[in-house]
Amino acid sequence: MAASAPAYTRARSTVASLRLAVLQFMADPQWLIPSMIAPVIFGLVSFELFRGYGPYFLIYAILGAGMMSMWGQTLYGSGWATGQDRNFGTLEPTIQSPTPYLYVVLGRVLWNVVSGLFGGLIVYAVVVGAAGQPPALANPLASIALFVFVMLTLAAIGVVFAAFYVYTRYAGFIQNIGEFAFYVGTGCMFPVVLLPFAVTPIALVFPPTWALDALRYVAIPGYTGFGWGLWGDVAGAVASTAVYLAIAGLIFRRVERQVLAKGNLSDY
Amino acid sequence: MSDGPAIETRGVTRVFESRKGFLFREKTRTEALKGVDLVVERGAIFGLLGPNGAGKTTFTKILSTLLLPTSGTALVLGHSVTKETAWLRPRMGLVLGGERGLYNRVSGRENLRYFADLYGVPIAERERRIGEVLERVGLTDAADRRTEEYSRGMKQKLHIARGILHRPEILFLDEPTIGLDPKSARETRKLIRSLVSDGVTIFLTTHYMFEAEELCPRIAILSRGRIVARDTLDGLRTLVGGDRTFEVEAYGFEDREIESLRHLPGVSKVASEEYGPATRLTMRVRTRETTLDDVRGLLPGHPELAVRERRTSLEDVYLDLVEEEAT
Repeated sequence: MAASAPAYTRARSTVASLRLAVLQFMADPQWLIPSMIAPVIFGLVSFELFRGYGPYFLIYAILGAGMMSMWGQTLYGSGWATGQDRNFGTLEPTIQSPTPYLYVVLGRVLWNVVSGLFGGLIVYAVVVGAAGQPPALANPLASIALFVFVMLTLAAIGVVFAAFYVYTRYAGFIQNIGEFAFYVGTGCMFPVVLLPFAVTPIALVFPPTWALDALRYVAIPGYTGFGWGLWGDVAGAVASTAVYLAIAGLIFRRVERQVLAKGNLSDY
Repeated sequence: MSDGPAIETRGVTRVFESRKGFLFREKTRTEALKGVDLVVERGAIFGLLGPNGAGKTTFTKILSTLLLPTSGTALVLGHSVTKETAWLRPRMGLVLGGERGLYNRVSGRENLRYFADLYGVPIAERERRIGEVLERVGLTDAADRRTEEYSRGMKQKLHIARGILHRPEILFLDEPTIGLDPKSARETRKLIRSLVSDGVTIFLTTHYMFEAEELCPRIAILSRGRIVARDTLDGLRTLVGGDRTFEVEAYGFEDREIESLRHLPGVSKVASEEYGPATRLTMRVRTRETTLDDVRGLLPGHPELAVRERRTSLEDVYLDLVEEEAT
């Protein structure tokens, strides 16, 4: 019998959650569709969509399709995994454990970032294969680093969505409504500056908008975007990501209490 | 460890409010618990009995920190279930059971590994501890199979393994044998008994009378959100009017005959029910002075009369108390 409570670390719980997410991914053939087949389709569609539009069309095609693929994997997947916990009936025992649920979500988000990057690589290979040549990236290394950065900013929104999935079984409905608007509004497919001006203030609320602008800034020669330069974009992305994570932390603390009051943890 | 009770609740109520219908305009309000006062001592199995919808699972979830009470106080191991969850959660185990609640695409061992990490089971001990609990619940051979391949009984055992993995001081078991075949149910009861010998306090909810009778030295009966009785089985027998039960069957009785049976010494209750073409009278008898022959003597006009005596069972007690509460 335990004389005192066993110690636990938040990092260990996050790693455990990451590990379980990997095992579930490997065990379930349905994940082949969003993680491997969808990026191939997105890459081919995007290649055809952008073909012939200027000298940097390959970069636009890769970014557009890559974001389309990663968007679902990272943002949608992070929230949806919590919805799965509801469906499996594992939300209750997980919430009942000593680990705050936020750290479980973080492990899943990390895995979704990795699998999203994998989708991005597939898109890159497909577009390059279709074009028969690699894109003329202005700064390849910085582009890759910012690609990863974009994923992390997406993940920050994913964490917030996950909190809604804990709060209510209807979170999927809310996320489905917002998904396409977020996708277009954050400039995943087209730079936000090409959209009506009224979209810009809303788009800037989302960290990926800033990170994507920074990525285009380093990847596409002559791209000016919002005109705040690389570090202006990066600073905006870091700040807004930090705000999202802080909000996620607060929401999780409140939500974990509220669901105990509502008593809907077992609803699915 | 403190010597206070394992569980102490005062006036615990729980109201569920929900909305349904078009645009969620229809509001429903359900009072699941209506002021539950209960004290459970440490180191034994305590049984909470009640019909479906009595509030057993709601009460268990409140005690195991998965649900906040609407009002009242609940202490487990001397700590508040609403304010001291961080202290309590590593020290309690919860087994809700059923087909759900497990990661079905991974193995039983991986399910346990995951929860061992969430509960902070020391890494150096983790694999040994998992091996121990798997052996204890009899799942060693199936440990590396996906849990989706497990039978209902095997899943239940895995739920229990997860509940005891971190060596809790108190274990909540919510209807642990429901839906199990007789063999699995018997194995589960044997396992539950073995946990008590380790010093774990077990709070068990069930609506299987024989299970509570077999496992629980002390029992409470919850009906319509209230505790209607709490005692040992013998105490409960006394409460409902005696540990002797006479069953009297014939093709109908006159009111005066039933009334005369009521006036026999020590008879506390005579209930009548139709039993096929016959009528069965069930009598609770407190003392030894009334015998079956006394009953036969008062019912001379019934050549088909059948009279037998048995010990008042927990099911009798339960039905008496729940029916009493309902009326």
